[in-house]
Amino acid sequence: MSNVTFRAEIHDQIEKAGNTDIIVGIPSFNNARTIGHVVRAVQAGLAKYFPDHKAVIVNSDGGSSDGTMEVVHKTSVEDFNAILLHHRVKPISKLAFSYSGIPGKGSAFRSIFEIAQRLEAKACVVVDSDLRSITPEWIELLVKPVLIGGFDYVAPLYHRHKFDGTITNSIVYPLTRTLYGKRLRQPIGGDFGFSGKLARFYLTKDVWESDVARFGIDIWMTTTAIANGFKVAQSFLGAKIHDAKDPGADLSNMLYQVVSATFDLMENYADVWVPIRGSEPVTTFGFEYTVGLEHVSVNTARMLKLFRESLNNLREIWLDILGAGDLREVERLGTLSDAEFDFPLSLWTRIIYDYALAFHQKKLPTEHLIKSLTPLYVGKTASFILAAEHMEAVEAEAEIEKLCLEFESSKDYLATRWK
Amino acid sequence: MTEFLNLMLEPLQEVFLKFKVFLPNLLAMLVILLVGILLAKILRIILVKLLIAVKFDSWSDRMGFTALIRKGDVWTKPSAILGAIMFWLLAIVTLMVGLSALKVAAIDQVVGHFFGYMPRVFSASIILVVGYILAGFVSRAVLITAANSGFHYAKLLAETVRVLLAVMTLAMVMEQLKIAPNIVIAAFSIIFGGIVVALSIAFGVGGIGVAKRMIEREATEKTAEEPKDEIEHI
Repeated sequence: MSNVTFRAEIHDQIEKAGNTDIIVGIPSFNNARTIGHVVRAVQAGLAKYFPDHKAVIVNSDGGSSDGTMEVVHKTSVEDFNAILLHHRVKPISKLAFSYSGIPGKGSAFRSIFEIAQRLEAKACVVVDSDLRSITPEWIELLVKPVLIGGFDYVAPLYHRHKFDGTITNSIVYPLTRTLYGKRLRQPIGGDFGFSGKLARFYLTKDVWESDVARFGIDIWMTTTAIANGFKVAQSFLGAKIHDAKDPGADLSNMLYQVVSATFDLMENYADVWVPIRGSEPVTTFGFEYTVGLEHVSVNTARMLKLFRESLNNLREIWLDILGAGDLREVERLGTLSDAEFDFPLSLWTRIIYDYALAFHQKKLPTEHLIKSLTPLYVGKTASFILAAEHMEAVEAEAEIEKLCLEFESSKDYLATRWK
Repeated sequence: MTEFLNLMLEPLQEVFLKFKVFLPNLLAMLVILLVGILLAKILRIILVKLLIAVKFDSWSDRMGFTALIRKGDVWTKPSAILGAIMFWLLAIVTLMVGLSALKVAAIDQVVGHFFGYMPRVFSASIILVVGYILAGFVSRAVLITAANSGFHYAKLLAETVRVLLAVMTLAMVMEQLKIAPNIVIAAFSIIFGGIVVALSIAFGVGGIGVAKRMIEREATEKTAEEPKDEIEHI
């Protein structure tokens, strides 16, 4: 499946680079503002922690018009002494090119995997190009478990605001953990370390013309690694702060992309996840510390209004997916005041399982099905925010743990209905 | 006496001769009918089994076909209905082919007209099915998008879209079948134009107060500086 074609000059640069120990991939699209910082952090990390290893930074760009690739070429760490680096620093090669294929992060990653394969890289890292909180230590934490620890896949572990990452916290993490039995806290974190062997394995998969090429590459990489028995770990990277996302980004589109990718993988790996019960922690690297996070303001009243309005509008669709019993419970929630509003964990778990089953049975076109989950997700998120408003981060995390245990204890509901 | 007998027998002989010529055609028609209906029955059984195997009934449930036929007080399974439709279609075709075997000029003309009309029936059926599926798909997409945007009248909007698309589909079907095409086009234009005018008047005149309140509310909401969500969902 590895048939990415590179332009002649890139091909020459790959040839010239020869065998390499570490590849750091940075997918980008119009990130000129932030990519310089990411490249500097990566260079410093490689110089500081892997001075004896040959490394290449690969910028796989989606056709930026703001000079992202020029920034990559021009950026370098001016003064290594400033980061207390006194040993000899070898220049680190950089490759920046526009990837070919379907536009999307998946296609950008495919080119990175391809280069890793051609350069016979031992360890690879991918980091987002809009990161503001990346430090040289991220490179150490994502590479060393692979290079020295013998792990094939290293997922990130961040400290985030208790209200952030709610799709991860209320759907993707509990579901992935329950399905595949590994407690990887950030399965769609976006910054990963992986072995050359795993990069080659990814390339053998026939997914590069599918939605994986457009979106859903993060959950695909994580699930493929776990479901195929690769050794997985996670590394604590501190806070994840990145450039402000497009405020107009549609929530239901986001939900559709993430959840459809997760459900799609359930189809592919049903043989793997159906027999699994319970979950086990994975090896965690890094020194955990408390991070000060910016305040996040949320309008729960507006969220609950959307939830209540949808009870009337989407009733028939929900009845078909959830059944009369659970719909009655959802309708009961609609009668509660904002102060009383509390989305039961067991109901939310069954809702996600019912949606997975409806996806499996093709009850509705995928986009309609998953987008109809949006108001329910908004209701669940509002409920969590109301409950966690005065909680410390640890207590909020304990709430997420309770949800995960509910997902695990109800797995029979999903497994027995999946035919 | 012989002459009288001849006079009597000649027409009978003529009828007998004509019947002798006609008999093979009649037999051919009966054989065609028998074989055709038998074949139609076999094909119906095969089709129903095939539809059951590909889970056509559950697909129909999802697409809303089952609900639609239930509204018409038909309680047979969609696969059985499709089987029956195919059986009767083949039976009618068999009947037409059988009748043409009689080689009667008037009947031949009717049969010719029938087969000439068949392509129109076929394309009209396709328009009807595609139109029905499309109307369902588009109205559901409108419903979900509007509901997710917090639009209070999402259901009404989706139903309006469905009705408009259904009206358009029916007009296209009638036009295809050449059933009073001028009346259909005129009626379609009147209904469609009427709906648009009615909506304009309703919103423009009858809904002045509502529109005013909506605009005022919008303006108030904007000036009230509601806290914006800064939550990152992923």
